[in-house]
Amino acid sequence: MQTDLPERREAAGLSQGGLADAVGVTRQTINAIERDRYDPSLALAFELADYFDCRIEELFEPSADET
Amino acid sequence: MSDTLHPAVETVAGSPRRYKRVVYGIFAVGIVGLFAGMLFDMALAGTTIYLLGAWLGSGLAAVLPRVSPATLTDERDIATHRHASGLTIRLIGGLGIGVVPALYALAAADLVTITPTMWGAIWMGSALFLVWGGCYTYVTRVQ
Repeated sequence: MQTDLPERREAAGLSQGGLADAVGVTRQTINAIERDRYDPSLALAFELADYFDCRIEELFEPSADET
Repeated sequence: MSDTLHPAVETVAGSPRRYKRVVYGIFAVGIVGLFAGMLFDMALAGTTIYLLGAWLGSGLAAVLPRVSPATLTDERDIATHRHASGLTIRLIGGLGIGVVPALYALAAADLVTITPTMWGAIWMGSALFLVWGGCYTYVTRVQ
């Protein structure tokens, strides 16, 4: 899953730990999502989209091999 | 961090990575203690170390995520455990289906001998697969 989460997070002046605290997961999970090593659950994807006030499909895009 | 936690507990519960290292480390000490006890003919001491490690590790794993204000485990840990469990059962299933019948056939033809240790492994793998089947049935019914 491709994401522009790092750009949005940095634009908001947040560390990975800060974003993790805000959405109730560990920093390692945010790191894994940003590095495309973990696809978040639908609930977490909604949580992140809600936090950045955008739609899920603006935040995440399936990789070529996932479509 | 909470004011009510003991400083040592607070240190462990303050970071997911530290929490996992400590819990897994305690389990590892227990398991190493058990094998060391068996190896050096000190079964009682080894078993005591194992039980202490298992109880303390299980207790910390159960309690710390509840009392810590930091997020120590999350959905990725659950996903990782599910993935590892699935991989384990596929490996055991693959070995059970692909190797064990061949072993029986070779043993029947007196080409190999199935040792008591191998029988133990076969029984353990079979029991694990049976438990997995029961859990799978339960989960599919409650979901």
